Amino acid sequence: MEQKKILSVKDLEIKFHLRGKTLNAIRGVSLDLYKGEILAIVGESGSGKSVFTKSFMGLLDVNGFISKGDILYSGCDDGKTVNLAQLKKEKQWLKIRGHEIAMIMQDPMTSLNPLKTIGAQIVEAITLHQNLKGNAAREKAIEYLKDVGIPYPEKRFSQYPHEFSGGMRQRVVIAIAVACNPQILICDEPTTALDVTIQAQILSLLKEMREKYKLSIIMITHDLGVVANIADRIAVMYAGDIIEIGTSEDIFYDPRHPYTWALLSSLPQIGVKGEELFSIQGTPPNLFMEIQGDAFAPRNPQALKIDFVKRPPYFEVSPTHRAKTWLLDPRAPKVSPPPVVEKIRNGGIR
Amino acid sequence: MLKYLVKRIARSFVTLLLILTIVFCLLRLMPIEGYFPNFDKMTEQQIQVGLDEMGLNDPLPVQIVRFFNDLLHGDLGTSRIYRANVAVTEILKDKVPVSIRLGVIAMIVSLLAGLPMGALMARYKGKFFDHLGTVFIVCIQAVPAAVYYLYIQLYGTTAVGVGLLFQINNPKYWILPVISMSLGNIAFYAMWLRRYMVDESNKDYVKLAKAKGLSEGKVMFRHIFRNAFVPLAQYVPTAFLNTVIGSIYIESLYSIPGMGGLLVTVVKKHDNTMVQGIVLLYACVGVIGLLLGDLLMVVLDPRISLTKKGGDR
Repeated sequence: MEQKKILSVKDLEIKFHLRGKTLNAIRGVSLDLYKGEILAIVGESGSGKSVFTKSFMGLLDVNGFISKGDILYSGCDDGKTVNLAQLKKEKQWLKIRGHEIAMIMQDPMTSLNPLKTIGAQIVEAITLHQNLKGNAAREKAIEYLKDVGIPYPEKRFSQYPHEFSGGMRQRVVIAIAVACNPQILICDEPTTALDVTIQAQILSLLKEMREKYKLSIIMITHDLGVVANIADRIAVMYAGDIIEIGTSEDIFYDPRHPYTWALLSSLPQIGVKGEELFSIQGTPPNLFMEIQGDAFAPRNPQALKIDFVKRPPYFEVSPTHRAKTWLLDPRAPKVSPPPVVEKIRNGGIR
Repeated sequence: MLKYLVKRIARSFVTLLLILTIVFCLLRLMPIEGYFPNFDKMTEQQIQVGLDEMGLNDPLPVQIVRFFNDLLHGDLGTSRIYRANVAVTEILKDKVPVSIRLGVIAMIVSLLAGLPMGALMARYKGKFFDHLGTVFIVCIQAVPAAVYYLYIQLYGTTAVGVGLLFQINNPKYWILPVISMSLGNIAFYAMWLRRYMVDESNKDYVKLAKAKGLSEGKVMFRHIFRNAFVPLAQYVPTAFLNTVIGSIYIESLYSIPGMGGLLVTVVKKHDNTMVQGIVLLYACVGVIGLLLGDLLMVVLDPRISLTKKGGDR
C-alpha cells in the first residue's frame, strides 16, 4: 500500500462542558490515515468514535472543544499542511468541509432534506465544490447517481427522499458526499440503520467509490463483521482512547488488548449454539472523572495490578500493530488470549 | 392534483351548506321580535300578517329551500332592524372591503416583520437578539391586547400626527390600526418560526448540509427556514381571517367603517337576517382559509400525498 499520510492526529484531547462539569471525550489519541486506505474505528457506544471524527470537520457540538493536540491534514491541492485543530473561523472550515473531507451519516432516513429533490441536494454539492452550474451540474449529478447504482437516474433526479428506500437513500447520501470531490470520506456507521443484505451492497459500493475517486475512508462502526469485510486497518477505541491499532489481520488473528479480546468474544457469529452469548461485564468508565491506569481494567477479570495505577503506553507488536496494554510489557505475566482468538485463527469465523 | 382539488372544494362546499342550514334553523328558534323594529306597538294580527308576508309561517323546509334559492341569486335578505328595509348585501358592500383591506395590509406587515424576526432569533439562539425577541413576544402575548392598543393610540396619534377621526383615503391614518393589528401576529409568527427552526436545525439533514460545506447562512435559509415554514404556512390563511374578524376593537377604537363589531351589534339587536348574512360571510372566509392552508401545505411539502390515503411521513 502506498504509505502517504493524508491525515495525522497527534495526541488529541477533546472535552465537553456539560452541566457545569467537564467530560473528557477524547483522551490523547494519535492516529495516522494513509492515502487510499479504509481505516475502521471500532468501539462501543459512547467510546468517542463519532466525536473524534467530527472534530476533523469542525462539527463538534457548541459545548465541545479541542483542548490539546493537532490534526494535521496534508491533502490540500497546494500541498500545504493544515492543522485542523487550530481552525476557528467558519470561513476556514468551509474550505475543508466537503471539499477535503466529506461525511456520511448513520441514518439515511433522516440525513436528506425531505423537502428538496435528491437532484437538488446533489447539485448543491456540485455547484459548491466543482464550479458547475445549471445543466452541466445536472448532468454531473445524474452521472453520480448512476455511479452509486441508482436505476433510472434521470427520473430519480427529480424525486423526493420519501420516494426512496433506506438503501437507496444511503446511496444518494454517498453520491452527495462523493460529489463534493473530497480526499477523505468519513462514514459514521453507514450501515447500522440498514438491513443485512443492503449492508453488504453499501459496503461494496463504498469500496468501489474508493477505487474510482481515490478516497481515503474512515469507517466508524461497532460491528466487527462490517469491519472484517472492508477495512485495511482497524483502530479499536475504548473510553476516548485508541487502545489497539493494526491491520485487519493483526486485529482479527493476533489481538493483544483484553478489550479487543472481549469485543471479538462478543461476536454472535462465534457463539456456539446452546451456549450463552459472551458479554462484557460492567459499564464503560465515567468520563467526567480522571481515569486512573487502563480504562478497561475494572471490567477486565484478568487485569494486572499496574492496570489500575498507571496508564499503559503503546507497545509495538509489529511495525503495523500496536496496543496499549501492560500485558505486552516484557515483565508482564503470561496471560493467554481467550479461546475465541484461537478459533478465529483457525478459520472459525466466516 | 386536480382531482384532489375538486374533491377538497366539493367538501368545503358541503361544509358551508351544513353551516348555513344549521344557522338558518337556529335563527328560526329566535324570538320573532327580530323581524319588526316596533314590535311592542304591534297587535297580534299585524304580527301574523307581517310574518306571512316574509314567508316565516311556511314550513321550515320550504323556508330553507327559499333561502338557498335567494342565495343563489345573490340575495341575502333584507335587514329589518339595523337599517330597516335595506338589503343585507347593500349594508355589507361598503364595510367588507375596508375590513379586508385592513386585514391584508396587516397580514403582509406581520409576515414581513414576524418571519425575519423569528429567523434571526433562531440564527442567534441564546444571543442578545433572541432574548430581545423573547421579551417582545412575551410582552405581546401576556399583556391584554386592549392595553397596548390604547397606548398605541394614545402616543401614536401625536407621533404620526393624525387626528382621532379616521380618514379612509389618507394612508397616514392606516398606520396605527395596521401596527396594532400586526403586533399579535408578528409575535405569533416569530415565536413559532423560531421554535420550528430550532427544531429543524437539530436534524440530521442539517448536519449533512453543513458537512457538505454549505455556510451557516445558506444552511439556515435554504434548508432550515424553508422546512420550518411548512408547518407555519397552514396557519397563515387562518391568521389572516382572525385579523379580519378580530379587528372589532381596533375598528371601533379608530372609528374605521369596517364590519368589525357588526355581528355583535346585530345579534344584540335581534336582526336575524343580518346575523344570517354575516355568519354566511364568516363561514365562507373560514372554510376558504382552511382550504387555502391545506393547499399551501401540499404545494410546499412533497411528502403530503394527494391521491393515496396515509402518505409517507
